[in-house]
Amino acid sequence: MTPAIGPRPLSSLLARGVGFLILWVVLIGTTPINLLIGLAAAAAATWASGLLWPAHGGIDALGLLRFVLRFLPQSIVAGVDVARRAFAPHPMLQPGLVACRTSLPAGTARRAMCALMSLQPGKLPVAVDPDGTLHIHCLDQREPIKEQTAADEAAFCGMLRDGAGHG
Amino acid sequence: MADILTGAALFILAVTALGLFRVLRAEFAVERMMAVQLLGTGGAAALLLLGAASGTGAMTDVALLLMLFAAFSCAAFALGQASPSVEGAERREDGA
Amino acid sequence: MAPADAFTLLFVTAGAILFLAGTLGLLRFPDTLSRLHALSKADNLGLGLIVIGLLPQCDSVTAGLKLVCVWLLAQLSAATASQLIAGAVYRRKSGP
Repeated sequence: MTPAIGPRPLSSLLARGVGFLILWVVLIGTTPINLLIGLAAAAAATWASGLLWPAHGGIDALGLLRFVLRFLPQSIVAGVDVARRAFAPHPMLQPGLVACRTSLPAGTARRAMCALMSLQPGKLPVAVDPDGTLHIHCLDQREPIKEQTAADEAAFCGMLRDGAGHG
Repeated sequence: MADILTGAALFILAVTALGLFRVLRAEFAVERMMAVQLLGTGGAAALLLLGAASGTGAMTDVALLLMLFAAFSCAAFALGQASPSVEGAERREDGA
Repeated sequence: MAPADAFTLLFVTAGAILFLAGTLGLLRFPDTLSRLHALSKADNLGLGLIVIGLLPQCDSVTAGLKLVCVWLLAQLSAATASQLIAGAVYRRKSGP
């Protein structure tokens, strides 16, 4: 069940497999026959995650916690912000594209950052040029989009172990 | 309590239907694709509320599947739209 | 009314208002990408609030965890789908 990509410590694979099995138990339940299928499913999921996850993409637990603690309030702000603009008598909008720089190289990390950024207030990354220019659609161009993007990126990079991705 | 939850579910269904009506009348295929996402989120919320109102735990499973289908059909749509020259078009699906 | 029910009522109402806001955004925002903002942010927060509101009504811990799983899946789906749709819109505008 060990994937062929890169040497991976058995303990981390095992931990991942146990995680998938717990998810299965939460979703399906603990009847023995279901548990048997769950074991097979967890093994398959571990194998697939080995293929999909980038070879040296470690996540720092503390960094992840910090990121989540920043992300949740921000995503509430994002929803309330959209609601406020939608309920206003005249929608308070000045939509447009803003170009920002990103230091993350092309790859899973950058795509993950763009996806997470699209849940943050007022911003929606739409495209990345080969030279690392992010095109971000924002609801209000008067807001300091570049500063917010830099802060988002710093928070995201704090989650990556050994600062992976800086290039 | 059950009545209130059912009422909330119906309200969300109505609001989602209104949004669907708007999105499906759009002229671009891209915009119509937003309907899938809208139906996924709104439908999941309504199902969860109905499940809590009637005490059927299985409703949660249906909501889970609905969300899953929404995600996959969006990915399939984007794969069909993607032009091979654009960066990042070859590997669309990655976990956030 | 029991405190748990009041909690549920509060959060479900807030969630329903956000779904309304999402649909209003879809109806009123001027361009496709702005409407995508409304869809991915407001509706998602609405679903999140409804999930939080329904947590006290769950009869077991796993049922509650399952609800949270629905929300996590919705977050993942919304993030991915909005990226894919935005990319398709952008290519359509600037593309060949």
